[in-house]
Amino acid sequence: MTTLAQGKRTSRRPGGPSVGRPGFAWAVPATVFFGLFAIVPLVFVAILSFTSWNGLGTPQFNGVDNWVALAKDPVMIQSLGITVVLVVLGIVTQTPLSILLGVWAAGHQKNRAVLSAICFVPLLLSSAAISVLWRALIDPNFGIPGELPWLFGNGNLLGSQAGAIGVLTFVGGWQFIPFHTLIYQGAARAIPPVLYQAAQIDGAGTVRSFFNVTIPQLRNSMITSLVLMLVGGLTAFDTVLILTAGGPGTASTNTAYYMYQKAFLGFDFGTASAIALVLAVVATTISLVVVRATGYDKMRSTQEGL
Amino acid sequence: MNKRSARLTRALAATAILAVGVALSGCSSSGAGAASDRPAGVIHVAIYGDTANKVEQQIADTFNKTSKIKVVLDKIPGANYQQKLQTIISTKSAPDVFFNWGGGSIAQFVNAGLLLPLDGFIAQDPKLKSSFLPSVFNSASMGGHDYGIPMRGTQPVMLFSNKQVLAKYNITPPTTWDELLADVTTLKAAGITPIALGGADQWPTLMWYEYVYDRVAGPQLFDKALAGDKSQWTSDASMTALKDIKQLIDAGAFGTNFDSVKFTDGGSPKLLRTGKAAFELMGSWNYSTQQAADPAFAAKDLGYSAFPSIAGGAGNQTDLAGNTNNFYSVIKATRYPNTVRDFLKLMYSDEFVKAQLAIGNLPTTTNTVNFLSTAASPDYATFQYNLVKDANSFQLSWDQAYPQTASTAMHTAVEGYFAGRLDAAGFAAAMQALPIK
Repeated sequence: MTTLAQGKRTSRRPGGPSVGRPGFAWAVPATVFFGLFAIVPLVFVAILSFTSWNGLGTPQFNGVDNWVALAKDPVMIQSLGITVVLVVLGIVTQTPLSILLGVWAAGHQKNRAVLSAICFVPLLLSSAAISVLWRALIDPNFGIPGELPWLFGNGNLLGSQAGAIGVLTFVGGWQFIPFHTLIYQGAARAIPPVLYQAAQIDGAGTVRSFFNVTIPQLRNSMITSLVLMLVGGLTAFDTVLILTAGGPGTASTNTAYYMYQKAFLGFDFGTASAIALVLAVVATTISLVVVRATGYDKMRSTQEGL
Repeated sequence: MNKRSARLTRALAATAILAVGVALSGCSSSGAGAASDRPAGVIHVAIYGDTANKVEQQIADTFNKTSKIKVVLDKIPGANYQQKLQTIISTKSAPDVFFNWGGGSIAQFVNAGLLLPLDGFIAQDPKLKSSFLPSVFNSASMGGHDYGIPMRGTQPVMLFSNKQVLAKYNITPPTTWDELLADVTTLKAAGITPIALGGADQWPTLMWYEYVYDRVAGPQLFDKALAGDKSQWTSDASMTALKDIKQLIDAGAFGTNFDSVKFTDGGSPKLLRTGKAAFELMGSWNYSTQQAADPAFAAKDLGYSAFPSIAGGAGNQTDLAGNTNNFYSVIKATRYPNTVRDFLKLMYSDEFVKAQLAIGNLPTTTNTVNFLSTAASPDYATFQYNLVKDANSFQLSWDQAYPQTASTAMHTAVEGYFAGRLDAAGFAAAMQALPIK
């Protein structure tokens, strides 16, 4: 896609500088929308994080009280760790499966089209529906664990931290692998066949081609998918709410869910805003770092020289 | 530029959603204003949206037939009722009258000066107070003022049982703690989970604390703790109660996987219904839950009894715990207080009582007793009514009695002690750390 855009630009350039790049006016609708629904609320949240407010009456400024309390709050600190664990587990499990499925689904045979259509079904469901569905399926007495005691023991999957995080990772994977598969499928289809032909002439087999042609060609898609997983994982909330409610105890309370607890169960909007701000800053920083570290922002095509 | 903003947009999406809501409600919160700002010719009644609404609608229709100022019902879908209420109650769009659970669910509004004390209404019509059972009426009173008129029904917590399972193992519903422990041993040996518990919901677990603390220490311990005497949680009585609970858990009363079972998705009621468990401690709504799933079971095999007594304890065996009732409270800014008063009078009318009984709710008015035979299930209604009428004390559920801000930490502590993550001292410390205002 990037190449295409660049190609057009270069070909138009001789026409004169005025037709080269669109002016700032083109960005106005997006900027206004972004400003109104992202920047303005962000500023409000930043202000609220220095207040004490339960939703009634006027917020009272309380200096850095919320921040000091948050820095000492063991649940907050634990929630950051849990968030990182959930994000890392999500990436580690989803990426390889999505790549394999995506590359497989990129073939043109008819049965693949049918099978990948089935595989994409979870994409059509809302995450709330998916969570409710899985919550019923993992019921220890009447769900899958109740039928397979040799595998699940007493079925107390949500009774331990490892179990709860395992369930969240599994359901997250079931939900999001189809989406990332779609990204890789598109990218794998865009790889020019000439590369595979060249590799074949050089004596590369299927496996060698996969690692030396397909994977390098999917580089930009991987970064896209990685950033989506990172940011999505940091703000994952609905599955936690419905599947584990942060439990047992606070053992699967990630930061996004803790923010919800503070805001809408505890009506402590000041602290909740502080948590929201932490999340926003962390998510922005991480995606910037990933983009910089991988050179994604240089907008280099993987197909230069073809 | 565009790419970067797209990235940022994604990063901030979740924040923005929260923030827009907060910012908007922040903008409008200045408008709590005077009665003249409020809509003319109508009073708005905010109600928890569920199947019981047909009765509320019927009562509103009855009222509107004769009143020039009309009642408008605003049905708010159940799950987020308290959140929605909290965000609108100090704004111009606040309802005149709203549904609540009394106690902690309205304490914040009382503290913020938003609610109308109903003392004036009661002076004009004493029946607004005398028509209701006092143990229920009082849970919406604070600082010597009354803030709520009971509506819908009372929901005491009872020990439900599967009669078939009990008969099979020759067990009768336990009246003492020792009998309960003996039953647990028998049932466990037979490979049945003695007591179904939806531990993943946390509030079903809390019910065990409410009753054991009451039976061991009497209702005073909790009342004092809620009033600010935090030493109650480390008292000998508190430690004894915790030891009793531990004894029950260690005896295997709840099985091993209760942390993964929920009441709200039908898990624990199904355990009881299918005979995989023998008992369940649950609110009176369990009857309609079971009835919806299997009417024959509810009618024939669902047993119910009061919570057993504990030998040597200070609590009275007639003490109850649960949701005392639902209430209507009134906003101070209401434009038509007299209309509101007349509307509230319908909450002890015969029509109201009959309509509530017909859908399985149990109103706590003094005239309810005249209509018990018309209830959806007369035996069950009569049993409950007598429980509530004879109750020495009716403890409002702890998570409703404490302010909303305490609920998460309380549930975590309750669940932690059951799962063995907290010891008795840890539980007491967690309870002491709860905010009481």
